Amino acid sequence: MRMSRREWMLVLAVTGIALLLPLVVRSNYLLHIMIMTEIYVILALSLNLVLGYAGLLSLAPPAFFGIGAYTSALLSLRLHLPFCSSLALAGVAGLVFAAAIGIPSLRLSRHSFVIVTLSFTLLAQLVATKWTDLTRGAMGLPGIPPAAVLWFTVTSKTLWYYFLLGLTLASLAFFTLLVRSRLGRAIQTVREDEILAQASGIDTWRVKFYTFAVSGLLGGVAGSCYAHYITFIDPSVFDFYYMENLLIMVILGGSGTVWGTVAGAVIFNMVPELLRIHPELRTFLYGIVLLVAVTVAPEGLAGWLRARRARQENIVQEEVGRA
Amino acid sequence: MLLQHIANGLIQGSLYALVAVGLTLVYGVLEVVNFAHGELYMLAAFALYMAFAFLKLPYVLAVGLTMVVMMGLGLVLSRTAIVPHLRRSFETTVLATLAASIILQNGARFVFTATPRQVIVPLEDVILSLGSVIVTGQRLLVVVIAALSFLGLQLYVRHTRMGKAMRAVSQNKEACRMVGIDVRRIASFTMILGAALCALAGSVVAPLYDIFPAMGTTVVFKSFAVVIMGGMGNVPGATIAALLLGVGESLAGGYVSLAAKDGLGFSLMILVLLIRPDGLFGRRVRV
Repeated sequence: MRMSRREWMLVLAVTGIALLLPLVVRSNYLLHIMIMTEIYVILALSLNLVLGYAGLLSLAPPAFFGIGAYTSALLSLRLHLPFCSSLALAGVAGLVFAAAIGIPSLRLSRHSFVIVTLSFTLLAQLVATKWTDLTRGAMGLPGIPPAAVLWFTVTSKTLWYYFLLGLTLASLAFFTLLVRSRLGRAIQTVREDEILAQASGIDTWRVKFYTFAVSGLLGGVAGSCYAHYITFIDPSVFDFYYMENLLIMVILGGSGTVWGTVAGAVIFNMVPELLRIHPELRTFLYGIVLLVAVTVAPEGLAGWLRARRARQENIVQEEVGRA
Repeated sequence: MLLQHIANGLIQGSLYALVAVGLTLVYGVLEVVNFAHGELYMLAAFALYMAFAFLKLPYVLAVGLTMVVMMGLGLVLSRTAIVPHLRRSFETTVLATLAASIILQNGARFVFTATPRQVIVPLEDVILSLGSVIVTGQRLLVVVIAALSFLGLQLYVRHTRMGKAMRAVSQNKEACRMVGIDVRRIASFTMILGAALCALAGSVVAPLYDIFPAMGTTVVFKSFAVVIMGGMGNVPGATIAALLLGVGESLAGGYVSLAAKDGLGFSLMILVLLIRPDGLFGRRVRV
């Protein structure tokens, strides 16, 4: 599968707009929202990989996000590691924890998998709150040093924006290559029909395991960026609030598509911020949005558009047939 | 000390059993994990609080009222988040019940705020001692209610028409539709039963702990572990697993550390999954 010319144009156009945006946007508040959107895109990719491509409903992304944030923060604060190593190790931590959770839970029925991943997130938050010697509990970890790449430090919001833009684009490229690779096709086969996949010689358990581990890696990286950008973290990084946002982004954006996820992350991060909806009210409203969405359009925006297009093509074909 | 820890553990385990049995029952009959189950428990505690604080009802009447309110809520929940999705993919029901849980928990935060509240009952002042073991009347009530509801549920599921229909649905939904059992009605009924168990759990436990909007999350976290350990959909399995977890936690909290106590449920769940993926009582029989 190669990208069509239209898709290349779209990629270039979006990248161009993203590169030029900080020249137009001068407000620090707007820049902050844009930076958070970039972090959310990476996180949403991690959920989309397991939910949209492998068909596994994982409620663990906030756990990997938080583990990445805490790993990176602790390595920088206690061991004074440079940012690049902390970032890399946060990714590795996400990967290792995902692998450790994947081994017992991926063999099971899909229901137990959901329960285990949700329990893992709750446990991670519990550990971050209770293990005060390491994490200072609810007091959190302040003073996390800002990112420093090679010879210069990322201090201003504009620099953060460009740094994360680079990272987001790299994650998107990695993601696109992954889902179009042999493994990616195997993942989607498992989602469509696990027994057929097994009959075609795909080691379904291994495919699911790799996918889940990679999603842990992406979550860890996003968490590390968040910790160094905000410079303060506490156990609320594990909150279900993030999971809800992610589910809305991925499901309404359209799980199983790359563009849908990016659009979902941008829309559902920007709109509520710009409408100045209070975070608590937002959680409540998003719950209703989620309930309505799964009731009315279980396949999300992208699925709805696809269905519409298919219907139109049918109509066109019928008309051609009649003529 | 050891006996006291075991007694405390059995009391805590009875609470887990009351919540987990409803959860595993709904799964056993409908193959739906109700992620809003913890919120039912939380709302039951608040309903009791309201009946106490505003209506000034005596305890027994307040419990009765709580049960009626919660059964109504169970019906609403089943009609909005479960019945419409019964024939859809399993992700849909998971997401729908998750959404319901978010709505209920945040709704409660708006209405009741995050301030913890207390309910004071006379039974909490009754102190019973059996040798070296000391329990309050209210704590003993938790165990008694758990035992009675478990017995009642077993009798109901074995001997009534509705109970038989529930078992039929758990075995084969398509066949039920063919012989004229209304699966949607059974689904709602099962949810009402689960909500009633949560109402009992909430009303007997509310006087023992603080009442706050996030209280359901902690209990449902333990209940998930219990449900998986007992074998998903296995009611007696969940009951035994709940008691084991309660005692285990009490001992871990008393002799090891508080962190070990909270992590125990999760660790046991993972251990059981590694050794016996179908649960401790691994027969694949439901209800």
